[in-house]
Amino acid sequence: MKRQQFQHPYLPYLLVAPQLAIILVFFVWPAAQAVYQSFRLEDPLMGIGEFVWFDNYASVFDDRQYAVSFVFTIIFSTLVAFFSMAIALLLAVKADGILHGESAYKVLLTWVYAVAPAVAGIIGTFLFTRNIGPLYNLLVSTGWTFNPQVNVFDASFTVILVSVWKQVSVNFIYFLAGLQGIPVAVREAAKIDCKSELRRFWTITLPLLAPTGFFVLVINVTYAFFDTFGVIDTMTRGAPAGGTSTLVYKVYQDGFLGLDLGGSSAQSVILMILVLVLTAVQFRFLERKIQY
Amino acid sequence: MKSLRTLAVAAAGLFAVSGSAHAATEITFWHAMGGQLGETVNTIAKEFNASQSDVVLTPVYKGSYEETMTAGIAAFRAGEAPNIIQIFDAGAATIINAKGAVKPVAGLLNEFGTKFNAEDYIAGVRYFYADKDGQMIGMPFNSSTPVLYYNKAALAKAGVEAPKTWEEFEVAAPKLKAAGYVPLSQSHTPWILSENFHSRHNLQMANDENGFDGVATEIMYDNPNMVMMFTKLKSWMDDGLYGYYGTKWNDNQKPFIDEEVAMWLGSSGSFGGLKASAKFDFGTTYLPYWKSVISEGQRTFIGGAALFAMSGKTDAEYKATAEFFAYLTKPETQYFWHRETGYVPITEAAYELAKSDGYYDANPDAEVGIQQLSLDGGEWTKGYRLGYYVQIREVLQREYDKIFSGATSVPDAFKAIKEDSDKLLERFAKTVK
Amino acid sequence: MKKKNQILDHLILMAGVLFLLLPVWIAFVSSTHRPEVILGQGLQFWFGDYFWETYSAVLFDGTGFTGKVNALLMLGNSMILGLGFSIGKILISTIAAYAIVYFRFPAGGMIFWIIFSSLLLPLEVRIIPSYEVVAQMGLLNSYTGLILPLIASATATFFFRQFYKSVPEELLESARIDGAGPYRFFVDILMPLSTTMIAAIFIIMFVVGWNQYLWPILMTTDESYYTIVMGIKNILNDLEGNNVPEYNKALALAVLALLPPVLVVVVLQRWFVKGLVETEK
Repeated sequence: MKRQQFQHPYLPYLLVAPQLAIILVFFVWPAAQAVYQSFRLEDPLMGIGEFVWFDNYASVFDDRQYAVSFVFTIIFSTLVAFFSMAIALLLAVKADGILHGESAYKVLLTWVYAVAPAVAGIIGTFLFTRNIGPLYNLLVSTGWTFNPQVNVFDASFTVILVSVWKQVSVNFIYFLAGLQGIPVAVREAAKIDCKSELRRFWTITLPLLAPTGFFVLVINVTYAFFDTFGVIDTMTRGAPAGGTSTLVYKVYQDGFLGLDLGGSSAQSVILMILVLVLTAVQFRFLERKIQY
Repeated sequence: MKSLRTLAVAAAGLFAVSGSAHAATEITFWHAMGGQLGETVNTIAKEFNASQSDVVLTPVYKGSYEETMTAGIAAFRAGEAPNIIQIFDAGAATIINAKGAVKPVAGLLNEFGTKFNAEDYIAGVRYFYADKDGQMIGMPFNSSTPVLYYNKAALAKAGVEAPKTWEEFEVAAPKLKAAGYVPLSQSHTPWILSENFHSRHNLQMANDENGFDGVATEIMYDNPNMVMMFTKLKSWMDDGLYGYYGTKWNDNQKPFIDEEVAMWLGSSGSFGGLKASAKFDFGTTYLPYWKSVISEGQRTFIGGAALFAMSGKTDAEYKATAEFFAYLTKPETQYFWHRETGYVPITEAAYELAKSDGYYDANPDAEVGIQQLSLDGGEWTKGYRLGYYVQIREVLQREYDKIFSGATSVPDAFKAIKEDSDKLLERFAKTVK
Repeated sequence: MKKKNQILDHLILMAGVLFLLLPVWIAFVSSTHRPEVILGQGLQFWFGDYFWETYSAVLFDGTGFTGKVNALLMLGNSMILGLGFSIGKILISTIAAYAIVYFRFPAGGMIFWIIFSSLLLPLEVRIIPSYEVVAQMGLLNSYTGLILPLIASATATFFFRQFYKSVPEELLESARIDGAGPYRFFVDILMPLSTTMIAAIFIIMFVVGWNQYLWPILMTTDESYYTIVMGIKNILNDLEGNNVPEYNKALALAVLALLPPVLVVVVLQRWFVKGLVETEK
């Protein structure tokens, strides 16, 4: 907080009122409803049913598919974050180093940010469609018996690829800014000290880029958890064998499609706790960064 | 829309003296019929609106079956329910078990329309959305049933006939393979070779009379006949006699259209789409059965969906809804729907009309579905009513995916199906106490 | 040596550009072919002769019960959603963040945490209770009902909070010496300083609003409120059904759905990049 602050009897309340009202009505209340639902088993229409304490949570943890979904979410997030960050970092380092055409590359490498995940998903679906999609034909021509409709590995490959494609742009922007934030003096000194470009990258650039990297990692994990919903819904709908269903998608499947309000609310609350942990990490990091 | 209504009200005031004009009752109808099917629904709605002046019906496409059901239920909870909602087979238990959420069709028609008579409806569609006494709760709308489509040229090349039984299939399949085809594929395995497998062989699916007499808590999918069927499917697949191309409907239909697959288990409602997209002559026949399980195959269940009248509406709206249902079940409307979409006509009168019009002389394939639904029925061919059945189908699909990708064995898959489905049924039972 | 490296660098960058561009390129040029061509020969890499037929049909031919639903209407609704969402969010969050950063008030800390709790749970997982709230308020089938619940997330407030905190302390001190009150300070000093930041957040939020997927589907039953991303969903349901797929139209719709937000990001590149980078601080 600022050291210098205004004092006013009612103005600050007036200023936060609209935001607070919207949050209370459209976030806190529905979220509280979800928590309440998570302790009940009721029919979705009449709301008849009973209070079951932690039964819904017990059945979530008893559900073999929840474990599958949990593991998939972890693997999926790790791979999406890793590949989209790696590709973006490579491109950012190259874009930072070249003498001509930097701004053109910047435009050509950042526009994907604006594509909706659902739109990315539908284009991906077409590219991987049997006999019609060029990516399908390409993969099959390499001798891979590529069959994303039946094989979980192949299906995961398609959603990961599309999710990475969608995320490279935003990572690129952050990494490029991070690189350009490294003082010129440091770069010049590094050039003199260390002739090998690769070694210079590992020993000087990367450590200096670490704070950006951590921030981007948090963003990417959040993205992989939540924003890939549109990709999965348009491409695989969690199939085959429930093998490409993330935790968020499972909430949607059980609650929105299957109308198991209690079970899906319990999953929502579990997700809330997971995000709370993620946010705590992010906040701690951000606060620390501001202090130095 | 509003201004139109104001106009109507004003007009009514103007002509009040003569007492002949009045404001029309507006009702809404949420459905899951996309694309060409949706256009057909729109045509029916427009013609209904034009045919009388008391009711204005607005159909709204709400996405897939699941999306439509959820949107309708969310709206119901918020007091904004449509008058009519299309609910699919797997969702029937959810809406029917919520006591008081819907106005049963039989009662609605008796109270506000013409007397309901179960005998008017063809045998195969009569019971699925009815209570155990045969009183219809939902009005069957788009009803189809699984049938076998075959590529005539492919079968001729292999020198085989379309199989009536799985025993015959086992003889024909290697010949089709030798002729360069994958003999068979199937869309929507949970619907065809799971639910309808039970109906075709008159086997029980779940306790409490398949869920009609109370709230079922035990699934019976893990019976020896199902295990046998899927053991066969898997071994056929390993021998190149059966193709499994994925979870989505079109994954398995497309190889048939592309003439890679010689025979395809699909819906009687697929007829229209196939006719438009297949570049070859195809025939249609009944869903095969195992001679070793039952001497004569029984009738199948209907798939598709039914229309439900939501409760909490005014009498005027109920009356308008009854009027639309009456229009919808008229032989002419049903015949139109049947011709345009390939779904079966739901009344005997409509079926008679189609026959007398000579429709089946020109399109014998279009009659197969309704004939199959009119076969002899047994104790277990009425239908099923199972809670959280959307999730149970997910469980089935998941385990079948695992069987066909070799990730699990058939007995293990059915053990998992039994365990997971029973858990879901038990949870559902608690919600409707 | 130097020269050779630069060529390699350009090659890598071009590969990156191609990786990002190719899928959309294929989608676009394929949409200019007849559906039978796509069905028979697969997706295409170069233009066909069906551009006008496809796009005029998608843009102008009415479908649906009212016969009024076409891409033009849906684009209009998406525009309203994108603009309403971004503008609403900026209006609300600039002042809320101002209160949080520049005022000392008793409930301040608690309010801060309530507001930021909304970052916890995306709409997808609390969608049914959210729908009920909107329905109870009589906001179904209205732009207000479409937009307000989406604004209930504190992302922009968070960004502005971070930004205000980076504004030098001295500004407030000197403003106070000049006798500026909270209103004058906000309007005359803080807002002019924030223009770039506001532009950037506007772009980011416009994209977020435009790209909304599940919420509009549940929310709207009146065809005149359909958005373009909803149209994608409907086409997908259609493709998976029993019909002869109109691949060209589906692809055209995807292209139309991504074009406006991409144009915004490309044209306003500088502000957008700066804004994103600021949010990191």
